[in-house]
Amino acid sequence: MRWCLALLVCCLLAAVNALSSSGSRLLAVLEDTDQKDLYSTLWADLEARGYDVSIESPKSDQLALFKHGERAYDHLLILPPKSKGLGPSLTPKHIVDFMNKDGNILLALSGKASTSSAVSSLLLELDIHLANDRSAVVIDHFNYDTLSAAEKHDVLVLQRPGPLRTDVKAFFDGEGVLALPRVAPQTLGGESTLLAPILSAPATAYSYNPKEGVPAPEDILATGSQLNIVSSMQARNSARFTVLGSVEALEDKWFSASVKTPSGTETPTVNREFAKQLTAWAFKETGVLKVDKVEHRLATEGSELNPSIYRIKNETVYKIEVSEYVYDKWVPFELPGDDELQLEFTMLSPFHRLPLKPIGRTETSTIFSAQFVTPDQHGIFSFRVNYKRPFFTAIEEKHEVTVRHFAHDEYPRSWVITGGWVWIAGLWAVIGGFLAFVVVWLYSAPVADKLKKTQ
Amino acid sequence: MAPKRHAASTTSAAPSAITTPAAPKLSSGPATLKANASAAEIAQHVWHQYSSTTPQRTLLLDAFMAFLVLVGGLQFLYCVLAGNYPFNAFLSGFGAAVGQFVLTASLRMQTSDSGVGSKPSSKGKNARFADEVEEGTGTSHERAFADYIFGSLILHFFCINFIN
Repeated sequence: MRWCLALLVCCLLAAVNALSSSGSRLLAVLEDTDQKDLYSTLWADLEARGYDVSIESPKSDQLALFKHGERAYDHLLILPPKSKGLGPSLTPKHIVDFMNKDGNILLALSGKASTSSAVSSLLLELDIHLANDRSAVVIDHFNYDTLSAAEKHDVLVLQRPGPLRTDVKAFFDGEGVLALPRVAPQTLGGESTLLAPILSAPATAYSYNPKEGVPAPEDILATGSQLNIVSSMQARNSARFTVLGSVEALEDKWFSASVKTPSGTETPTVNREFAKQLTAWAFKETGVLKVDKVEHRLATEGSELNPSIYRIKNETVYKIEVSEYVYDKWVPFELPGDDELQLEFTMLSPFHRLPLKPIGRTETSTIFSAQFVTPDQHGIFSFRVNYKRPFFTAIEEKHEVTVRHFAHDEYPRSWVITGGWVWIAGLWAVIGGFLAFVVVWLYSAPVADKLKKTQ
Repeated sequence: MAPKRHAASTTSAAPSAITTPAAPKLSSGPATLKANASAAEIAQHVWHQYSSTTPQRTLLLDAFMAFLVLVGGLQFLYCVLAGNYPFNAFLSGFGAAVGQFVLTASLRMQTSDSGVGSKPSSKGKNARFADEVEEGTGTSHERAFADYIFGSLILHFFCINFIN
């Protein structure tokens, strides 16, 4: 009885504790351990969501990202160091290795002091660029907090970001305004599809170095919405790297502050809510996709499931079940906006690229399906679903099948094809004519021969 | 053209006059053409010569071959007009007509040559002996016909199989 109760309590605890889809060990790197109390609400929120938060100084001897060649932590939260680097155990190489082993990283920057060169070179690895002197802040004379930065205009007050595009799900939207003090702006390399901005600066913002003053026009690399306040990079293995320009936005002070824009009224900030959304996404509590089941078969009733061989021109049905992780559970995945999940039937290049339509849902997943006729080409084909979108982990499914040609007895018989009736009639006319000719020949023979012989 | 044909028809008529009893009737007909005969007259003359001098079996062969040309031609015309979709059907239907035509032509060569090829004028009275020699070197009509049946059956087997 007690044993049963213990089990029940365990189950309840597991249900209550939300947990990231990829582990709960979180390492927070904080140079000055005294500053820990500045972020007490953040730590409490993270622990309430099921993380084991360990706060370490980069100078600490015990600090190591790897133990016995494996990750010692699942997630890494780096707060900006004041000194030049992050220490010997957090070099850019270590951090990239950590990402290669599916670790997630949230890196906070601050415009208060210049960013350390170690962090800058780490960001360069990921094609995220900081301002030249690494000590610029974003200034906006239209969207600043009049209560705390009436002079400097360096506390931005912004709406939470909506969807990046119409076909991308919005993970960070909602009501209310954010206060973002002293943002270190980032710009993203243009070519990479792995990079996506989470929150861009408004069009009226610009980057400004308080020590050097206004730069010469030719030194300005980016202004307005080209500057990013929060940006993200999702690697090919779906490990996430998030850069938050303003570490101060995570402080207790700003979680509960009230702000007032030049034109607006005094309103409380939603920084706490946004911090939850941001850390949840960065540590894979949201935007994680999973394929539960893949089925393909002939469209006929009672056909074999997932056969290894098909024939050309077979009517084929493909089904895939996709789940999305939302904070603490798997839910049926819904395609955002006008986006499409596509199935490719490929041999080197796709012969078919078809939209997968949702046909039903289970408790935790949506069933997407497509029906098509295999092409008139035999060979080794594969069913492929390749779904890579900003903010979602990648789906890459590949199932190889053989497509054979018709067997000799699988072609339609000639009389089924009406177009061939003329030639069938021709053939039988020849055969019938031949038989009639033989009969007439045999009956016409004797007269001439007898006469010939009698002569 | 006309004198040549005239000559050919007279030479072919000469042996048939000896071997067949219908010969005397033939010689009573218009055996010769005038030098300035019209095309219609020539055609009529040729047709008359052909129908009156050809043996019945050869006539039958010719009729069958004409039928095969008609059937084959219609099938080809249909293919040109309506497309060749069940191509194997076209191939076997058309091929059957062509193959049958070739086989029938061979039969005609083997059965109608024996009478025409011999030269009775040189051999004179021992025409029977000459006939026997002819049959000894060539193939007998029965043998030729048996080969023809065998070949045709193989052709039909292939065509029916191929038309599926």
